[in-house]
Amino acid sequence: MAECLLEACDVTVRFGGLIAVDNVSASFEAGELAGIIGPNGAGKTTFFNAISGVIAPTSGRLIASGRDLTGQRPHAYARHGIARTFQTPRVFAEMTVAANVAFGLKFAGRGRPAPWLLRDADGILELIGLADRAAMPAAGITPSQQRLLEIGMALATRPRLLLLDEVAAGLTESELESMAQLIRRIRSELDLAVVWIEHAVTTLLRHVERVLVLHQGRKIADGPPAVVVRDAEVIEAYLGDEMVETGPTGPTAHDGRAPAGAHA
Amino acid sequence: MTDRGLLGRDVLVLLALTGWGLALPHYASEFVVSLGLTCLMYVTLSTSWSLFCGSTRYLSLATSAFFGLGAYASALGLERQLPWASVIVIGAAIAVGVAIVMGAAVLHLRGTYFAVLTFGMTELIRHALAYFEKQVSGTVGRVLTTVPEGATVYLTVLALAVLALATSIVVRRSRFGLAMSGIGADEQRAQTLGVNTRLVKLAGFAITAGFAGAAGAAMAVRWTYIDPQTVFNPFIGFQTVLIALIGGAATLWGPLIAAIVFSLLAETLRLQLPQLYMMALGLLLILSVLYLPGGLASLRWQTVTGWWRGAGARLARGALAWRVRGAGRG
Amino acid sequence: MSLSAWLELLASGLITGGVYALVAIGLNLQYGLMRILNISHGEFLMLGAFATWWAQAQLGISPLVMLPVSFLLLMGVGLVVHRLCFRRLAATSPNVDVFEARSLMIGFGLMFFVQNFALLLWGGDLRGYDYLTDPVVIGGAQFSGNRLLVFGCALLFSLALIALLRFTLLGKGVRALMQSPTGAQLVGIDTRRLHPLMFGIGLGLSGVAGCLLSMTYAITPSMGEPYTVTALIVITLGGFGSMTGSLLGGLLLGVVEALGMHFMSPSLKMLLSYGVFIAVLLTRPNGLFKR
Repeated sequence: MAECLLEACDVTVRFGGLIAVDNVSASFEAGELAGIIGPNGAGKTTFFNAISGVIAPTSGRLIASGRDLTGQRPHAYARHGIARTFQTPRVFAEMTVAANVAFGLKFAGRGRPAPWLLRDADGILELIGLADRAAMPAAGITPSQQRLLEIGMALATRPRLLLLDEVAAGLTESELESMAQLIRRIRSELDLAVVWIEHAVTTLLRHVERVLVLHQGRKIADGPPAVVVRDAEVIEAYLGDEMVETGPTGPTAHDGRAPAGAHA
Repeated sequence: MTDRGLLGRDVLVLLALTGWGLALPHYASEFVVSLGLTCLMYVTLSTSWSLFCGSTRYLSLATSAFFGLGAYASALGLERQLPWASVIVIGAAIAVGVAIVMGAAVLHLRGTYFAVLTFGMTELIRHALAYFEKQVSGTVGRVLTTVPEGATVYLTVLALAVLALATSIVVRRSRFGLAMSGIGADEQRAQTLGVNTRLVKLAGFAITAGFAGAAGAAMAVRWTYIDPQTVFNPFIGFQTVLIALIGGAATLWGPLIAAIVFSLLAETLRLQLPQLYMMALGLLLILSVLYLPGGLASLRWQTVTGWWRGAGARLARGALAWRVRGAGRG
Repeated sequence: MSLSAWLELLASGLITGGVYALVAIGLNLQYGLMRILNISHGEFLMLGAFATWWAQAQLGISPLVMLPVSFLLLMGVGLVVHRLCFRRLAATSPNVDVFEARSLMIGFGLMFFVQNFALLLWGGDLRGYDYLTDPVVIGGAQFSGNRLLVFGCALLFSLALIALLRFTLLGKGVRALMQSPTGAQLVGIDTRRLHPLMFGIGLGLSGVAGCLLSMTYAITPSMGEPYTVTALIVITLGGFGSMTGSLLGGLLLGVVEALGMHFMSPSLKMLLSYGVFIAVLLTRPNGLFKR
């Protein structure tokens, strides 16, 4: 039985009258590669915010490796091995790329067991492929490079659980493939658990072993991709959404094109 | 220059300044020494202010509060015949205590709220003390009778300035300083990378307060009569902020240079044309925020040539437009 | 205390509150729309007061005439100030928080500049003039004519602005911009014209308040700062961006202050004002009236 890295128990996040995350329970184990999908406004990023400490849940509990971290601030989560990236890359614009990566190493990553790939800033830069940009200010690299930097910064905290928020958005076909390869490599060589939110559902479903589906704040499915895409509730939630091709053959590589019969 | 090289340079400059500061009273006139004292006070205040506010971008307007509290601690301590050293320490300690309370309440608010709140709290403390003095102590101000020698005061303030600069040199190279820079760059991001921002901010704010309190305690003896109006004068806080911003709040030497320049300007102008001095200060602040947000310290040759070229380009565009209009008419 | 004494106290508070409301609305307009916390707002009030006094003393122009004149004059000043100081800032700031912080600092610079400019020109002595000082009797209580005029005009200008925002196309554009800057620009509302205009109107209101104050109080170059602080307190109470909140908050503060001054010592009143300010900022940063 693999180690449970994070357990979310009945987590609810409420903003005034709006319920963004509604009683979601999920647990993530070491070494797994899971995805979270859902139509717009489903509460995916809010859920990430809750399980990384950025937002305190209105109710429910968050237990990381046996320790109850509910209500604690983000640095506590980071120090317990939960790292995240942000949907829009938030890098330290005026520091160099190398300094950005080194930052996490000096704080949450300090004193945590360091795998060889994450030994120092140079190692991490090599892993994410930005070694030749090390001395440039972070504001000067391209947006897709900033995405990679985001991942590097998160890895610098030497996490056990890595939360990736829409890292594939806007990438070209080949960039998508190398991103996916990187994620798989990170997962296997660093023995990390990776949880990946993605809007480009077809890409995600090709690579993950397990998928959670959120819809209007509730978790409506949780299982292997092949099973989840046939789930009636999931299909209904996505009706009208172009992302998933439904039918007896399951998901195919029809990226984003509307299936016959479904309205745009 | 390597990091080692930079550290060496900073330490050398600091030593040189210390030496110069120690030598000053022996060969300069009383007026110059007095000028030097004011200058050293502002060096202390602006350097310690920049240490926290420059890197975290939390603009504190509470310097006057801490300065005043230190001054009052000094007055009360001297009345009770306490030794000079402990008076200074008590002044710093009270300021730190108040800063921790204040900080715990307001440091979780972002930029503008924080600035306005620290200003409000400064005024609150001032009025609270005035009220307390009147109702409980029955006085409006206090007269300082037992004061140490001028030389002691000078040396104390010099020590404070050197200490502030040394602290700044050390902090900038430490993890604590990096944490503060991270907070200034993107606080939430820094949090998710493991920085305990609340503690770091409290510590930084407390350091700023400590220096301001100590400075206030030392400088109180310059005025033989103190009252809330004088020692809590918001102008002290404003000038500190101005100096730090114009000099370059995120740098080490910027505030120092600006403090020296402004002390000189202040003493020369203030007696003849005080209003002109203040107007110049205001104008300089506006210009520096608009054109040189990093302060004087960020002034590089490229920036100046950039302005030159920009102005030239505007002139050229204007001339071209003029010519085109003329050609159209013809 | 007799009923008429109570009414007089209340009314006195409302009169002061009316001026507070006027100044606060101007400040709120600038902050709510453009996120410019103009900490030099009170200095322009002072300029309006001095302009009125000067016109009356040197040219014999009635302060009533100076009401619209000081509005237009300070509005012009506002347009210039915005063009010179804030427009470039908006273009060069990487994000809103940096812009806010920098505009706060510019506000400081302006405060120093304008206050000392006035000191240089007119010196630090108190100035004043008499206007409509004959008492008017309303319902058993006595007020001097000028104070009634002050209240009436303050209320008039405040309501006029609120009406402008609510009923005119221009006002709707401004409110749209306040709610969603990008959205408003997408439908064609022009920030490049609207921002300087609203900044100017904000300063203009401040100038009017100064003109009104000059009728009843002595004026001095340092008179502006307390009003800036009070305006800050009012917009905190009433909510950033809410003009009606500023109107109500201003009147409320005026009454609370009048009551406080009557029953407690003046220094306690300042203590109370700041205490309330801080308490509100800490507990309900969106203001007391905003839902």
